[in-house]
Amino acid sequence: MALDESLLLKAIDRGLDLGAKYVEARVQDDYGYSVTVRNDKLIGVSQGRSRGVGIRVIVDGSLGFASTDNLTLEGVIKAVEKAVVRAKALSGIKRKPVEFSDERVGKARYSVLERKPLMDLELEEAVQILKDTYRSSSGALKQAKMPSMFNSLRVSIQEKKIVTSEGGIVESRVPRLYVSIGSTLFYQSKTLQRIREFGGSGGRELVDEWSISKAVVDELLNLEKILVEGKTPPEEKVDIVLGSEVVGLIVHESAGHPMEADRILGREAAQAGESYVKPDMIGKFKVGNKYATVIEDPTIPGSYGFYLYDDECVRARPRYLYKEGVLHEPLHNRQTAKLFGSNSNGASRAMNYESEPIIRMSNTYLAPGSMKFEELIEDIHLGIYVKSYMEWNIDDARWNQRYVGLESYIIRNGELAEPVLNPVLEFTTGWFYGNIVGVDRNLEFYPGTCGKGEPSQGVPVWFGGPNVRLNKMNVGVLK
Amino acid sequence: MSSMELAQTIMKTLYKYFDEVAVIVTERESTMVKLWNTEPSITQTWLETSIKLRLAKSSRLWILQFDVKDPLYIIKNAEEIVKLADKVEESEIYAPLPEPGKCSPISEAYDPKIVSYMDDPSEIVEELINAAMTHPVDRVAGTLTLTKTNLTLVNSKGFQCEEKSTGVEAYARVFKGEFSGHWAYGSTRLSINNIKEVGERAGYYAALTSDKADVTPGTYNVIISPLVAGNLFNYVASMASAFSVMTGFSVFAKYKPGEKIGAESLSLYDRPRDSTLPFTRSFDDEGVETYDKPIIENGVVRNILHNSGTANKMRVKTTGNAGWIRPTPWNLEINGGELRESELISEVRNGLLVLNNWYTRLQNYYEGYFSTVSRDVVLVIKNGELTGHGGRIRIATSFPNLMNNVIGATRERFDISWWEVRTPTRAPFILIQNIPVTKPEV
Repeated sequence: MALDESLLLKAIDRGLDLGAKYVEARVQDDYGYSVTVRNDKLIGVSQGRSRGVGIRVIVDGSLGFASTDNLTLEGVIKAVEKAVVRAKALSGIKRKPVEFSDERVGKARYSVLERKPLMDLELEEAVQILKDTYRSSSGALKQAKMPSMFNSLRVSIQEKKIVTSEGGIVESRVPRLYVSIGSTLFYQSKTLQRIREFGGSGGRELVDEWSISKAVVDELLNLEKILVEGKTPPEEKVDIVLGSEVVGLIVHESAGHPMEADRILGREAAQAGESYVKPDMIGKFKVGNKYATVIEDPTIPGSYGFYLYDDECVRARPRYLYKEGVLHEPLHNRQTAKLFGSNSNGASRAMNYESEPIIRMSNTYLAPGSMKFEELIEDIHLGIYVKSYMEWNIDDARWNQRYVGLESYIIRNGELAEPVLNPVLEFTTGWFYGNIVGVDRNLEFYPGTCGKGEPSQGVPVWFGGPNVRLNKMNVGVLK
Repeated sequence: MSSMELAQTIMKTLYKYFDEVAVIVTERESTMVKLWNTEPSITQTWLETSIKLRLAKSSRLWILQFDVKDPLYIIKNAEEIVKLADKVEESEIYAPLPEPGKCSPISEAYDPKIVSYMDDPSEIVEELINAAMTHPVDRVAGTLTLTKTNLTLVNSKGFQCEEKSTGVEAYARVFKGEFSGHWAYGSTRLSINNIKEVGERAGYYAALTSDKADVTPGTYNVIISPLVAGNLFNYVASMASAFSVMTGFSVFAKYKPGEKIGAESLSLYDRPRDSTLPFTRSFDDEGVETYDKPIIENGVVRNILHNSGTANKMRVKTTGNAGWIRPTPWNLEINGGELRESELISEVRNGLLVLNNWYTRLQNYYEGYFSTVSRDVVLVIKNGELTGHGGRIRIATSFPNLMNNVIGATRERFDISWWEVRTPTRAPFILIQNIPVTKPEV
């Protein structure tokens, strides 16, 4: 990242000269390439670089942000001045001044280890991976047809250097690989669609670890069976077992998001919403039973949401959002920590140089147990196992949620039996965490791009968990 | 160096190496005030020059994007691609750049008044807040965004044009106790009255009633507001992109032009030529003149949205919606009906008015199966009267079912643009019959 650090320091000096109480200058460089393939034909190749400086200031109790891609001294100083002038202009209608918690900010440099450099993954090889996945898949299907498979692969490098007026200096480099496989299966008049994702941080070795083609073929053969033989779910109440992918999404949506402190305080009220959690519920409110322990950890090596310092130069660490059923610790930045009378736990992230750092998840998961999957289901007389999903949503208080299963099976007398088509699960957050009756030991993670903020920022995350068994409930059908 | 000079310099230099070169330079300055708890949470400013390149050689296609205003850097990176030309195969959707259209920018899309407020928009923000607080409400959240844009397109086919525009987007979410109202507005031109209307309507719905009414899962006649219509028809229009159709992730892969997908009273248009709507454009990314067109007209699929590449693949003509890879709608317009809002409500015996929604997700794009969750008030209607808040519910159906069951709409329409309606949409309140509504029973 070719940017003289003195430019950031001059930006900070200029902001302080203009009356700012706090100035933060972050140069961020996101670059890489992506390829898209339809079936076995290349659609196109994209390359890009987003490089610039984001400035944040507190002046007259008002928070201002400005970004520029003009990396001359003149360009960066202009951005500082705009941030200060426009924040000051709005200070007259502020009710409470913005303040940050006192923190020990870091002076650090880190980068993700690449056993083989990610940028060594050449375009032609990337295209070949996606084509091979299509060819293997279409050749493996026996009864269903797959008229289209739409695949993409993205190689990206994110480099940041953050300097604050309080002495923080953090420099980082995180390479990430992401693959998306979109399949449409036809059988007679029925159709089924699946988007399978792979994502992580690291080097070229991720391609080998993921065995993309094999993983996709294995899953599509199961989905073919669902499409051809799948029956509607039973009408009576049945035991429910959810796979890691579904559990991961549930904890992301109904533990991670509602425990974001900015959302609890209403800062996302008009965009990504608020939370059923109120400040005085932390440490007291029981949302679930002993199995309801949800952990948020940016420091997991190889994870898609990996970082060691946040964008306010605060050191990252694992956070227990829910601990044995109780609301334990919200995700904080320095502003919400001050308002809660607490300390930041390093949750501030910005998507790119044009984005203000806001509270984000990284890698969120439900704590696993010790039993095997077979033990989890062995005493179920009649149940449904929902391994994956397509449709899902949750209300903006993070309470009322819905998941529509994709790869799903009946559980009969303790064993997986015939496939089930499109089972619909609707429950509240309180019901889910209060009705877990068992978790197995198979902790798996899945990648996602989490959206929040205005303008909307999509940041890479992992979500995961073990297989989870729930009490009986009614399962709906698509209408 | 001006944007035009920058674009021409890059184009002329790279034309030595490639069969075709197109350069888009977008200069943009925006300011956004974000509100929480009736005060600004942050004031944001963006000063950006983004440069996009479409490079083609022997039917190979590269798209490059840089937020780096350094022509030498961009040229050096593009030159590197020449070395890769033999390693990459032809693109399935390559087609030669089309003959250049006429350069006739839409001058009405630039409002200097918007620019004059960019350094200090506090007066407009106060108007928004004060309008909401004319109702007995607790707190106001939302955003005001002001933007000026200069877009320059130059390509090796001889097209060159610049277009200036401005934009204002305002939306408010207003709370009274556990209830909230929401409204939104977007335009190329600033109207203080329309900004006030955002706060006023959001406050009105928040404070409309404090009564609660029970909603059990079932089938209802549902009035969707322009906010909900904007969100849902954004999904429909996105699936009308030929690129979505090619991938199979589109309801228009099943329902082809000429086939019925909705009620006769339903029409959906792509409106690049309406100079008041925020994404108005006189030319697309391939230098083709844009034109207004129906996507759905009287319930029948009329147009899939194309660029030259997708049009060539499907053996039709471009519709002026490029996107070099993915064709996109510009602005959307849904036709109105004959009734006023109060008259539409009085038509409903047993139903719901859903003011706002989010989190629309699809189980199957080909069939169009989706669900979406309400946010803000859901008002229960009994015998033509609003009786109380129904709580958070979910509309869960398919897009063809939703569109086939449209039975009425208001005459008045609203220009909606906000976090959940990213393609600006002019929409009425729409009455839809027999729509499945769900909510958790546990």
